[in-house]
Parts: sequence; C-alpha cells; structure tokens
Amino acid sequence: MSEPIVALDGVWRVYDMGRLQVVALRDIDLRVAPGEFVAVVGPSGSGKSTLMHIVGCLDRPTSGEYRLASTPVGTLDDDGLARFRSRTIGFVFQSYNLLARTTALDNVAAPLLYQGVSRRERLARARASLERLGLGDRLDHTPAELSGGQQQRVAIARALVTDPALILADEPTGNLASDQGAEVLALFKELHQAGRTIVLITHDHDVAAAADRQVHLRDGGIVDRPLAA
Amino acid sequence: MSVVELVRLALSRIGSSRLRAALTMLGVIIGVASVVALVAVGQGATSGITARLEGLGTNLLTVTPGSSTEGFTRRAAGSATTLTVDDAKAISALDGIAAVEPEISTQQLVQAGTLNTTTNIVGTTADFMPVRAYTIWQGSFLTDASVNAGLRVAVLGSTTADDLGLDASSIGSQISIGGLPFQVAGILQAKGSAGPFSQDDQVLIPLATAQHYFVQGESVRSIGVSVADADQMDLAKAEIQSALEQRHGIAADGTDDFTIQDQAQLLSTVSAVTTTLTILLAGIASISLVVGGIGIMNIMLVSVRERTREIGIRKAIGARGRDVMAQFLIEALTLSLLGGLVGIVVGVAVSALIGALAGWGFVFNPITPFVAIVFSLAVGVIFGVWPARQAARLDPIVALRYE
Repeated sequence: MSEPIVALDGVWRVYDMGRLQVVALRDIDLRVAPGEFVAVVGPSGSGKSTLMHIVGCLDRPTSGEYRLASTPVGTLDDDGLARFRSRTIGFVFQSYNLLARTTALDNVAAPLLYQGVSRRERLARARASLERLGLGDRLDHTPAELSGGQQQRVAIARALVTDPALILADEPTGNLASDQGAEVLALFKELHQAGRTIVLITHDHDVAAAADRQVHLRDGGIVDRPLAA
Repeated sequence: MSVVELVRLALSRIGSSRLRAALTMLGVIIGVASVVALVAVGQGATSGITARLEGLGTNLLTVTPGSSTEGFTRRAAGSATTLTVDDAKAISALDGIAAVEPEISTQQLVQAGTLNTTTNIVGTTADFMPVRAYTIWQGSFLTDASVNAGLRVAVLGSTTADDLGLDASSIGSQISIGGLPFQVAGILQAKGSAGPFSQDDQVLIPLATAQHYFVQGESVRSIGVSVADADQMDLAKAEIQSALEQRHGIAADGTDDFTIQDQAQLLSTVSAVTTTLTILLAGIASISLVVGGIGIMNIMLVSVRERTREIGIRKAIGARGRDVMAQFLIEALTLSLLGGLVGIVVGVAVSALIGALAGWGFVFNPITPFVAIVFSLAVGVIFGVWPARQAARLDPIVALRYE
C-alpha cells in the first residue's frame, strides 16, 4: 500500500484555559490512504471540529505527529503552513465561506492568486472547474445571487481548482435542504470515483454512510462504533 | 502576489463601497488640496510682488533726501531739501553707474479739450525711462535735446492719457498743464500699481521746464540710479554715500541727510517674509492631512473587524499573513493616493481661481503635487500599517467562526 495522505500518530490537542485544561483530542491515530473517502462522525463536542482544524493545517497538535502527504506539518511555520495548505488541501465548509460581493469566477480563482498563478490562467482554470460542476452559466453571479446548493458547488469548485491531494469537507450538507444536500453528496461520490481523496466531517449518520469508511469520534477519542443515541 | 493584483483587489473593494471610500478620502483630499493651494498662492503672491518690484527698475538705487535736524528737532525723512541736480550730476560721474535721473514733482491740473485731471507732474531727464524700467507705447520719450532746451513737451502715463481721452492719434496735440500749453510727445506702456501708488498716473516733462514754471530752486525729490552690474550694488551704494557725504560736508560717522534705498534688499526682504508665510500656511494645512490619515486608519480598523470572515476565508485558501497585510496596506495606500490625486486637482483649481482673482496669474510648481503625492502615500503607509497588521495576525480558525 502506498504512503497515506493523512497520517496522525498519537495526536493530542489540549486547550489551556488558565487553570483548566480542556482535552479536545486524545491520542488519535488516523490514516487515510490515497483515493479513500473517509467520514469522521460524532456528536457535537466530540472533537470533530478540532480534528478538522488539525487535519486542515489550521491548527497544530499539542503533542503527537501529523504527516500530510508525507510532510511533517509540525516543522512548518505559519507562512509555510499557509502555503502548504493552499497546495495540498481543498476546503469545503458548512457555511460555504465564499467571498461576499465577489463573482463565482473570482471566488474559485482566489486560491490560485495565493499560488502566484497568472490572471489569465487563474480565470481559465476557475472557469473549467465551475463548468465541470455545471455552473458554467453562473460565472458572474455573486454568492447572494445563488441558491445554497449552488453556493456549495461553487465552494467545491474552489476546493478542486488547485487540484489538491485532499478534499476536506466540514458538514458540507449541514446548511442545505435535503434535496440539495443529496445533490452535493452525490457530487462527493462522483469525485471519489474519479480518484479524489476525501475526508468528510459530519454528525449525520446518513451523510456518513456515503463514505467507504467511517471513523467515530466521541469525547475526543476514536471509538470502534457509535454508542446508541 | 504582485502589486498589480493587490491594486486590482483594492480598487474593486473601493468600487463596491464608493460612498464610504469617498468620505474616507475626503480628509486627505482636503489636506492635500489646502497644502497645494496655499503653497501655490504663496508662490503666486511672492512672484507677483517680485515682478512688481522688478518692474520698478533693474539694479535700481533710489536716493532720497533724508531727515534733517534743525536745532534740537529732528524732522521726518523727506523733509530736507538737501538733494540737488548737481548731486545727480556728481553721482553720474562715478564708476559703474549706468544712468541717473533726478526727479522733481508737483501737482497740477492737466486739461485736454473738455477733459481734465489733477495729477503728479514729474520733471526729469531722458534717463528716467531706462532707470525706472518704463517702455513707450506711442510717440517718443523725452529726449536729451528737449530736456536741455527746457521745451514744453509732455509724456503721459497710460492712466492719465485714458483720463484725458488721449490715444495714439493724440501724439503731437496740445494739452494744458497748470494753464500752460504743452505738446504731447508720447504715451507710456501701462505698468500696474506698486503698492498704493499708481505708476501709470503721472505726466513727465523736462526737468528744466518743471524748474522754470512750477518748482523753483535746485532741490530734487529723488534721484534714481541704475547700476551697471547687479553684483556691484553694494559697492555703488558705498561710493554714492561717500560722494554725497563729501559734497554735503558730513563726516563719515555723522548723520546722513539722505537715504539710499536698495531695490534688491527690499526684494529679498519681501520674498523672505512671503516664504515664511507660505511655509507657515502649508504647515497649518498639513495638520488636516494628518487628520485625514487618522480617518483612513479609523475606517481600515473598522474594515478589518467587518471583514474578519473574509480574512479567515483567504487564510484558509492559502493567504499568508503577509498577503493579508499587503492587501490591507495597499487598500489604505490606494485610498490615500486617490485622495491625494483628487486633492491636487482641487488644489490646483482653487489656486488658479485665487491667482486669477488676485491678478498675479497662475503659478504652477510641479514640485508641489509631487511632494503632495509623497505625503499622501506616507499618510497611507503610516496609518495603514497598524490595521493591516491586525488583519494579518488574525487566527484563521477564530476568523472563520466570526459572524
């Protein structure tokens, strides 16, 4: 088996709140192989978001080692982390997180801006990415002019435009009506079939069922199977 | 990220909130406009005054009778009648003197046809024109021949000629001065006023004629001296002083009964005063530039708050701290630069208007807008750095969660 994309070994994340120490993640071991579609499932407060921040290189482990695409993330400084993040990870957020008052095309092109890609190439790649997601006729629409499902597809187009090693999705269907949510979920399955590596974080077992493999999180640790609700 | 990309980003941001951008820039606009306008007005005033003083005559020294002392009473300057035509002749014999013209003057009624005016009648010589820097408009000036012969000929200032209804066709016609007939020899080119005194309202007649009919005696009102070389002014002044002291029997350490005025000295005093005033005014105006800068800082700080989420998104998709910092800094710079450019246009327009109203014309100094641009950029940097650092330091996780 080839080198995993995501490799967490004994990762802890402890928040120091003055006298109180809050353990958000305890001793996490997690591996995601290339081409795998993994769902991280857990109720709120289980440490999902913290795990997503660490996997997404937005935060660093308190202890333990995290290797993303064979790079030990702990050795990078903030700027190095930002650069590495922009090349390696495509984010899809629950609340889409598109730039307001900015067209779909410019939103999708934005990550390439920080990679120093020329404007002409940026726009060409952003257009191609949007067209692949069936948004070829919405290039000049701002987020306010798009439905929730369309906004999330723009966000997915943005995540894909850099051709990242890992797609990291945080409750991507959480803000969507069920039919639009199903569409987005179908899109993730398509991406998976096209060979993308996806980590999807959710509290919804039905959503998690779309993945190959489910990792259950409870009280900051990985458990074998979910406790009965 | 290239500066071009950042400027494009800043312009689209400014374009999407035009009213706010305009209000933010207003401080810088007012600051730059007032600095530009005040400096231009100061320079315009200086050059206007300088031009007028130069118009009085080049390399000009003016000798006037000074204060006289009788008994224990010291009289006011000009009260003495100690300066004579012979003094003027003695001065013209000195080295380095180009021309000398003694003047005597009197007020007389001047009539031409049915029109009349009471004005200054100046008795002088042919050298009056070069020394006082006049040019002739019509006819000819007094000649040495007419001066020596004491003819009744007159050259009119342009204002006087207008008052009497005389024009180019009047050369050679008869006018009456103090009841005596005179022939119009010429009319001078208009020169404008120097201070409260019009230089164009006077009638020039030969010195001897004036002495014969109007002002008896040898004393003169003033002697105008044109020095050949501008660098020799001080030397000429000293020579004239010692020559006159000798003629008047005054010891070198005694009190002179005459005064020698130096045109250049007056000029440098005036320009020093106006320069100081200009700097003072520009200094006051630049306070509003600082206030404008604080306005930019204020709006940028608010903007960082409002756009916390945007900053979080940008960081999540790969912006480094310095990218965010550069974005906000360029935005502040763009605001201040646009404000500066508008301010220059407004300032130039205002100074052109003031110049036109004050009559010294429009003086455009290309250095002023250049300095104004540098200043407004400095304002952008100084007041933009802090908000930009605030933005750059935001933690992406916190920023993304911010509602």
